[in-house]
Formats: sequence, structure tokens, C-alpha cells
Amino acid sequence: MTEKSIETLPVTNENCATCPVHNAANLKKLGLNLENTDYVVALAGNPNVGKSTVFNALTGLKQHTGNWPGKTVTRAEGAYEYAEKNYKIVDLPGTYSLLATSLDEEVARNFILFGQPDVTIVVVDASRLERNLNLVLQILEITDRVVVCLNLIDEAERHGLTVDDRRLSRDLGVPVVPTSARFGIGMEDLLAAVHEVATEQIKNKPYQIESEPTEIKFAVNELVKQITSIYPDLPNPRWVALRLLDGDQEIISAVQNGEINGLVQAGVEEDKRIEFLEVTN
Amino acid sequence: MNDPVILLSIGILFLGLTAFLFWPERGVFPRYKSFRKMSERVFHEDALKHIQKLALQNKYPSIQSIAGALEVSADQAAIILSSLEVQELISVVNGKWHLTQAGETVALQVLRAHRLLERFLAEKTGFSEEEWHQRAEKLEHSLTLQEIESLARTLGNPSHDPHGDPIPSSDGKVRLREGQSLTMFPINQNGRIIHIPDEPEAVAAQIRAEVIVPGMVVRVLESSPTRVRFLIGGEEHVLAPVVATNIIVSEVKEVPVEIIQGESLALLKIGEEGEVVSLSPRCRGAERRRLLDLGILPGTVVAAEFISPGGQPTAYRIRDSLIALRNDQADWIRIKPLIMEQAS
Amino acid sequence: MSKESKISPNDILATAQNLREQVGGEFHQSLVEAIYTDATRIADRAVIRPDSKPRFDLDRTIDKIVTSRIFGFPLMILLFTIVFWLTISGANVPSQMLATLLLDNLYPWLKGVFAAMSIPWWIDGLLLDGMYMATAWVISVMLPPMMIFFPLFTLLEDFGYLPRVAFNLDNVFRKAGAHGKQSLSMMMGFGCNAAGVVATRIIDSPRERLIAIITNNFSLCNGRWPTQILIATVFIGALVPAQIAGLVSALSVVAIAVLGVLFTFAVSWALSKTVLRGEVSTFSLELPPYRPPRVWQTIYTSIIDRTIYVLWRAIVFALPAGAFIWITSNIQISGLSIAEWVMNWLNPVGLVLGLNGVILLAYIVAIPANEIVIPTILMLTVLGSGISGVGGGAGVMFELDSLSATLNIFTAGGWTLLTAVNLMLFSLIHNPCSTTIYTIYKETGSMKWTLISSFLPLIMGFVITFFVAQIWRLVELL
Repeated sequence: MTEKSIETLPVTNENCATCPVHNAANLKKLGLNLENTDYVVALAGNPNVGKSTVFNALTGLKQHTGNWPGKTVTRAEGAYEYAEKNYKIVDLPGTYSLLATSLDEEVARNFILFGQPDVTIVVVDASRLERNLNLVLQILEITDRVVVCLNLIDEAERHGLTVDDRRLSRDLGVPVVPTSARFGIGMEDLLAAVHEVATEQIKNKPYQIESEPTEIKFAVNELVKQITSIYPDLPNPRWVALRLLDGDQEIISAVQNGEINGLVQAGVEEDKRIEFLEVTN
Repeated sequence: MNDPVILLSIGILFLGLTAFLFWPERGVFPRYKSFRKMSERVFHEDALKHIQKLALQNKYPSIQSIAGALEVSADQAAIILSSLEVQELISVVNGKWHLTQAGETVALQVLRAHRLLERFLAEKTGFSEEEWHQRAEKLEHSLTLQEIESLARTLGNPSHDPHGDPIPSSDGKVRLREGQSLTMFPINQNGRIIHIPDEPEAVAAQIRAEVIVPGMVVRVLESSPTRVRFLIGGEEHVLAPVVATNIIVSEVKEVPVEIIQGESLALLKIGEEGEVVSLSPRCRGAERRRLLDLGILPGTVVAAEFISPGGQPTAYRIRDSLIALRNDQADWIRIKPLIMEQAS
Repeated sequence: MSKESKISPNDILATAQNLREQVGGEFHQSLVEAIYTDATRIADRAVIRPDSKPRFDLDRTIDKIVTSRIFGFPLMILLFTIVFWLTISGANVPSQMLATLLLDNLYPWLKGVFAAMSIPWWIDGLLLDGMYMATAWVISVMLPPMMIFFPLFTLLEDFGYLPRVAFNLDNVFRKAGAHGKQSLSMMMGFGCNAAGVVATRIIDSPRERLIAIITNNFSLCNGRWPTQILIATVFIGALVPAQIAGLVSALSVVAIAVLGVLFTFAVSWALSKTVLRGEVSTFSLELPPYRPPRVWQTIYTSIIDRTIYVLWRAIVFALPAGAFIWITSNIQISGLSIAEWVMNWLNPVGLVLGLNGVILLAYIVAIPANEIVIPTILMLTVLGSGISGVGGGAGVMFELDSLSATLNIFTAGGWTLLTAVNLMLFSLIHNPCSTTIYTIYKETGSMKWTLISSFLPLIMGFVITFFVAQIWRLVELL
């Protein structure tokens, strides 16, 4: 395998032959100006993968980014303009998982599920891919509108690791953009990929977890049948089934009081999303 | 007034009095609070539980047995029984006390509350194992029906309590427990522990001391009238048959031999690697889920990297990350040591 | 379709419950195992690893040194000594400059402007002598050390060293029922308790986080250092020959700080064994890779995020406090100002505690910001003892350049060595400042824990000063 330098890494998606020319001029950092949002972008990821650095690079804000697992708690919103669209970006707390066992995980999970962002960027650490994919695969079960930001590739290179992002993109069924947010590398590609997913120029075919034991597979199928018969348009019946089987109280209530139906509607109104954010923060 | 001797005495007296009144659990105020909870309801429910328990063993209560179980005088026990009879919770058939349908329902509700509470204490609080039973015993009487149901929902409607006892469903059905006593279990066969007793305390304490919990895989090595010797997680345990008979085991078909032989990660030396074979059932709740999320699963390779100068924790390389684990956490992780390939 | 449409949400839940029982209790683990199996497969395909392990791993080499048995602790002590030394020595000059600017130059100039505009004396007094003075004190005492301490701390954090500190110290904290990461919120508390409380966010276990929040107040924050240093210099330094006076007073201040650390451990232990026993406790500590810190960005963000945040809060609380002090010392009721009435009323209690009414009142008005304790005490002592010719009048805080002049004021106020020692103790062990209390409420979201964090140290402070005073007097009698 010949080493390729960061700058010449290929653009991620096959569709990118048609996408607008990427240049930095397309990006306008809007800081905290959250008015007239066209799209909402959620930023998820493991703790300490440079999520806040990505956030700062996109919004021009200067949120503190300590080298500590679990730093982000406050000031989680920012905005930027790209290709004449206004994006609001929400930095979610860093979590290892979304199986909702801690408050942080619940906040992140609920935003991706009920906040219904137009795109979820999952920032992953290129040198710890295995553990980061744990979170990516969970998010892919919730939403197909995902862009994976393969961050810290400089660090991975330093350790002699090479990540085949095309292969990863094909396996996951979503765009994968190699970046090094610290040095601003790959940010334009990231913006373009987010834009394409937001404007539905790309249709993702997200990977589904397949190694679960047969009895779980069977149980999930049974439940999915019932769930889709009531909520035929639900985007993530498999995931709802998995959470029901795990006895997730929040999902059980959502099914019971029909709130899960809210997920079916094409989009939740903007102010409702903000309201939700305020509650969770 | 400003004489230091007088002030000092007043001060010490005041401190002593405060301690006497408010010392956790043993002070006057905490005692009074727990005494007040000993209401009529508590006596009634405890009596119904007692009768139900005897019924399961085909025995019947007497005034003496009630008095003994509830730690009250025989007179009080008689009053409690007659009051239960008036409420039609028990009835006399052939000169023996039986639970009526209504009495059975109440007893099952209390049992449901108790086991749900134990589960709650195990999963969602930091109280240690020996406290679960006692605390559940106190709290079970103060819950309303709605509270019991909302507790069940919060826990995701669990089916068993942490001791492996089935939790009665809200419509009063109890699952039957299969399996057999450890003393009766065939030698050199693998079994899974499905139940340990929560009382009497003396027995429960011995089993706790051996750190045995439901879910563990066990293999009996020797079973004699004087002792039962068995293997759990690579370690040998010996219990007296009176104690071991309370442990219920069910058969398991295929168990990788590593689970029986897995050793503690805490024993791994710096620079060595091991492969996780199991995460002990002793590790529960939030702690367990966190370790799973970090990718500590059967098959995961763990390498001991360096130890804190304070003695613990130890830093382990797990899936390319450095995770520090304290000794008792590392002890939950059972591993199979890997022989490192020698470089050339 | 007609059959299927009869299914209700409750049917789904019932099915789910049934299936749950079939799948069994290990569902969660099975699912995580499945996800990781897939993740491993995908990662293996995408990641190309080097054929052989690199012979030299910089991260591991640094780790071996900073966590080694021999160098681990000395290196840690050395680094933190450097941080504190840089903070203290570096802050001196800008602090002095700020004080000269705000108090010696701007204040008279503003006075002059107000006089020229013939503004009524009480507006001038309230705004300048009260609010402006208090805020100026807080800024000049607090801002410089924070601007040095926080960036230095943040640099160590960004480099990745602080998680190793938590790793090194964890065993000590484990024995006290706490989390190793508490060492960092504690250290941060030496800069500012409010920032220390915010820093407990890195602890993700509920019990250990509450312990860290409640005990953070035992870290002597930089608003309290000036009190300690002045009192130690004036009273303790005076007990020994002049040559070693500086050393002895410095050591006594360090002793107080160390006492604070001991209290942290003792109270952590007691809390974990009593009120917090039932809170969930987990331990997780990931040691991130070392990353070269970006110095300028770090300095910028740590000033914005921490210093400005804390400073802003302090100013918000200092303004009304200044107004309050000025009003109470200037409104008179039957010949005595309100401040004097309160002081006289508090005096018996204060004396029993080995303190006095002035100190107690100063600590009440200094709840917003401990920086103003010394100027307030000086002003109130002059007000109460009727000394003339010092200070700026009723309600005007001041400090003196000369130590002997300061000592004279204290002696005139009836202070003894006991008063000094107990003031140092009480300065360490009393309620947190209002900024910290507010932060605790924001962080815990609970009134109960806020009240416990506020009153526990206060009660401890009363009990400790009381017993010290009585035993002291007893020994004096003998």
C-alpha cells in the first residue's frame, strides 16, 4: 500500500462527480447566528475524537476543546452557511454508545431520534475505528441521513495506520470523509457531503447490524412486522424493535402514547426542535 | 459565660447529643422514623408473606410462628391474625389458616414489590449487595400499586430479581423456577446458577463471601455430606451442604471450557496479553454497560500496559484505546492469557 | 390488512414483553456483542495496519515516565509547583498595576468628575465608594492570577497530561470513596471553586461527581489566598525573628491549604459512606493519546471560557455587595450605622468562636466574593473602633501598604493571635461564595445538594473555630 498524502485523498462519494466545486468560499461561518435555518445538523461521536474541533472549524466559534473524554456540555449550537443554505449545527455530548444508560447518552440519543436532524455527522477517530464504529452502527440503525467524518487521520498516519475510506463508505453505505479538523484538512469535503445528504442528492443505504443471535433476529422481525403495520412510514422500525426488546422506558412510552408517530411526519417544525434542545440542555 | 471550660463542655455535649440524635441508622431520629413505618400495614403484609411462604412448603402458620416471624408477642400475633380474618384475607379451613384469593393477591403484590425493589437497588443505586434485601424489606410496604408499576416500567419489566427469583407479573402469575439444588447437581457437569437465597442472612452472607451470583457457570467437583466443592470462573469454592443446598443450578448444554477456567484480568502482568472469556455477572447495572460499551466482550484482546504509581488502577490497551481499570473492575473481567509470539 | 390494522400500540408492547422473556436477560450484552462483531469486521477491512509494531512508541514512552514509580509523583509535584509559582509570582505585578489603575488613579478621577457635576453625595457614595470599589477590588485581585492559572492548566489538559494525574492519584481517592479525576477539579478549585465545580463534569459517575462538587470548597481558592497571606504575615510572621518571618508565614498558608486537602479526603470519605451511599458509582478513566497543544488557541479559549465566565459572575455579584456594604455603613439608626448595629449584635457570637462581629459581618457581605473580605474587615474595624485618620470613610474599602499600620488597626479592633488563627481557619472552612453556590445549583439541578454544599462547610467552620477557641483559651488559662 503506497502512502498517500492527506491533501490528495480522494473525494468520498461516487456521486461527487456531479457535486459543486468545493472551495472554502462556499463556507460562511455564522458563529452563533441561528436565524433562518434551512437544515439542522447534529454532531455526534465518541468522547475525545475532536468533535468540538470540527464544530469550531465549521462555525468559527471557539468552544473549548480539552483533551479529555467528555468535555462538551455547554454552548452546543452554532451555524454556518454553505452553498446558499443556512445550517444549524448542534454539538451533542460525546458518548461511547446510544443505548441510553447515562444522561449524556440520553441527550444525544433523544436529539438524533426525536430532534430529527437533517444530517447527523458522526465524528470518528481514525486510529480507534473499531470502538468508534460501535456508535456509528447504532446511529445508522436510527437514521440513514449520516455522514461519517473520519477525523484525526494525521494521528492515525503517525501510528502507521491507513484507513481505506472508500471501502468504509461502501461497507457503511454512507459518505465517509477523511479529515484532520485541527489543521482544517478535509472540511470542504465534509461540508459538501453534508450538503448532498441534506439536499437528498445522495440516498444512503445504511448498514444494518447482522451478527445478532438468531433468537434476537426472530424477535426483531416479529416486532418489526407489528410496528410497520401500525406505523408504515416509520424510518427506523428495526431500531424501535431493538429498544423495546431492551425494555427502554422512553421508547416504550413513545409507542404507548403514539409519540413515535411523530417520527413518521416528514419533519418536525423548527421551533419544536429548539424547544426540545432547551429542555435537554 | 465566656469560661472556656463551660463552653467546651457545652460544645462537646452538643456534638454528642447531635450524634446521638442523628447518627445514620443508629441515632434516635432515624430509629424513630423506621419505627413509625412499622405500622399495621407492615404487620399485615409481613404476616401474609409468612403464610404464603409456609404454604409453598405445605405448612400452615400458628400464632407462635407468626409471632416469631414478625418479632412480636403472641398476643399481638393473635390480634394480627384475627384482623386479617375480618378483612377476609385469610380463612380457616379444617382448623388451619389459608390465604384467601384476596390474601394471595396482596401477598403476591408485596413479593412483586420486594423483588422489583431488589432489582432496582442492584441496577440503579450504589448500595452494596448485602443491603438490597434489608432495604427492599423496609421499602416494599410503602409503595402504592401505581408506584410498583412505574418501578417495573423504569426497570424495563424485568423477569427476575438479582437473586434469580422470578418476579410475579402484575396479574399475579409467578413463573416456576426450574433447576436443581447444587448439592444434587451431577458431578463434572456444567450448570448455570439461577438462584441464590436472600435469607436467612447467615446463609446469604456466606454465599456473598464466596462472590457467587446468578448467571455464573459452575462445575461441581465433589459432593459429599460434609462438603460441596465446585469450580466457578477458574476458582475452587467449598461450601457446607446446608448452605449449598440453597443454590439452584440449571443445566447448560455447551459452555466453552474457558468460561470455567477463565482467570482474573487483575492477575495479568504488565506486558502480557489476554483474551476476554466472560464478564462476571457480579458486574451489573451502569458499570457493566459501560464496560460492554468500551468493547470489553468475549474475544476482545486486552493488554496490560502500565500500573499507576499509587498501586492501582492499571492501564489496559483495549481495542486501540488505553482504559484504566481498578483492581476490582479488572477482577470482573475473566480472561484466557495469550502466549505472546516471540519476535523472531 | 384488515387483520393487521387491528393491532394497537399496546399489543406491540405485549408482544415485546413476551419476546423479551424468550430472548432472556442477556439481551443487552448479545446486542453489544453483535454490534462489535460487525464493527470489528468492517474495521478490519478498512484499516491497513503496519506489518510490524513500531519499535518506538512516543506515547507509551511518555506514559512510562509520567506514571513511573520513581518519577510519577515527583514529576507531578514539580509541574504543579511550577504552575502555582508562575501564577503567584506572575500575578503580583499586573495585580499591583490594576490596583494602581483602578483604585489609585481611576477612583479619584471619577470622584472628581462626580464632584464637578455636583452629584449628591449619596449617589456618589453608593456608585463609587460602594459598587465601583468592590468591583475594582475583585477585578484587581482575581483577574491576573486567573489569566495565568487557567491557560497553564488548560495547556496541561490539552497535552493529555491531566488524565495521567487522575490515573496516578486514583488510588488515594478510591480509598476516600472518590474518583481520581477529582484531583483535577480539586486543583482547579485552587484557582476558583466555581470553575472547579464546572470541572467535575469530567466525572461521569453520579456519586463521585457529587462528592467532588460538595468538597470542592475545601480547595483554597485564589479569592481567599490574599486573606491567608495578609493575616499570616501580620500575625504569624510577627511571632518569629524577622529573618525567617517570610518563610514561616508562607509555611502557615501552605499548612492551611494542606489542611483543606485533608478535609477534602475526610469529607469525601464520610459522604460516600453516608448520604451518598445510595448513588450509583462507576469508574471509568480513558487515557487519551498525547496531542501537542495549540498554545494560542488554548490561551484564547481558556480566557474566554473560564476566566471571563468566572470574572463576569464575580462582577455581577460584587456590584450589589458593594452597594450593600456602603448602604449599611452609611444609614444610621439612633446614632449608629446599620453595620455597627449588626456588628455589635454579632460580636458575642464571634467572640465565642474566637472571631469577632466584624469578621462575621465581613463574611456575610463577602458571600458574593471572598476577595473583599480584607478591605471590608479593615473598613468595618475602623468604623467600629472609631480610629480616625485611616481609610476612606464609612463604606469605603481600603487596604494599607504598611504591615505595621494594618497590625495597628487590628490591635485597636481587639484582635489577638487566636483571632488571626481562627480567621485563617474560617476563611478555609465556610460556605462557598455565591458564584460557586449558583454554579453548584446549575450543575446538580438540585436544591438539596446545593443546600448541603453550602451549609456543611459553614457548620464545620463554626464547630472547628469554636473548639479551637475554647481549647486555646483553656491552654492560656493553665
